[in-house]
Amino acid sequence: MKKIATMLVIAGALSVTLSAKNWVVDQKGKTFIPSKLTVHVGDTITFKNSDPFAHNAYTDDEANEFDVGMQPTGKETHMKINSKESFNVECAIHPNMLLEVTVE
Amino acid sequence: MKHFYIIISALLLGSLQLCASDDLEEGKRLYNETCVSCHGETGATDTGIKLTVKPRRLKDSILSAQQMVKIISDGGHAYGAHSDIMSAFKYVYEEEQIENIAQYVSKTFNAHREARIKKHLSEAKVEKLDAKKMHKIGKKIFKRNCSLCHGLKGDGNSIYVEQSKENKEFLFPYDLRKTVLDEDQIFLILKFGAHYWGADKKDMPSWSRKYDDTKLRAVAHFVKTKIVGTD
Repeated sequence: MKKIATMLVIAGALSVTLSAKNWVVDQKGKTFIPSKLTVHVGDTITFKNSDPFAHNAYTDDEANEFDVGMQPTGKETHMKINSKESFNVECAIHPNMLLEVTVE
Repeated sequence: MKHFYIIISALLLGSLQLCASDDLEEGKRLYNETCVSCHGETGATDTGIKLTVKPRRLKDSILSAQQMVKIISDGGHAYGAHSDIMSAFKYVYEEEQIENIAQYVSKTFNAHREARIKKHLSEAKVEKLDAKKMHKIGKKIFKRNCSLCHGLKGDGNSIYVEQSKENKEFLFPYDLRKTVLDEDQIFLILKFGAHYWGADKKDMPSWSRKYDDTKLRAVAHFVKTKIVGTD
């Protein structure tokens, strides 16, 4: 019985890992593309920078604390969704950039 | 006797007006002799020459005539410009001539400057904060946002500038420590963006979507009291 329970836990964990998705958000024309995203806990967001200048994506949300720092053209950064709290991502250099992330 | 004083006063007033008008004519002559090649006939930098002159459009400049005198005299570099393309004209012109140029630019290109500043300052909704709280907010925002371009010391040395090797002139003033701007002007530029004082639209954007007037005032206060004038 104990073995079955252990196997079920492992299978559950594996299925969560396998179903975790990677979402790509580009920073282009001083805009996050897309500007809205619905994700799940465990998913990852990859931030690309296609602009000819640097960006600095970050969130003030405590549960999903995240700050990529200076991100030059062409560089990719990744953010893992750790908490079921929706949040906004902004750019510290370009105040009109906004990405709304809904965590389900 | 009363009539005598009235006549004398009228004559004095008339001569003063003539002087002012002559000074403006002289300012115009000097402007068209030198400044026009970069700033353009109307102060719009519509010369077709690819020069990085900032604030680009003098007609939108919020600088007072006194601030212009300083920049014309000592050159842009002395007040934080990255290059010395705007030379120190004190080696070319007399003080009075520089004053005439500044008056001409101020009165001809941006005659509504004071009214515009006054209107926007009166419309600002700034909450009164104690000095400690104001400093804390200003410092935090400066570090979080401003320092990424302007550098932690406000000297223009930041990773962002380092990575923008081809065009560092997007930052103006490049060195905030030397800026000629007062706290009100810094506040308005933060609120409306660099475009407000004649820089380009692609330069510093407006921060009003992100921060309210009180917070922007705190940043302006922090810059003026803790950055400007430091080494």
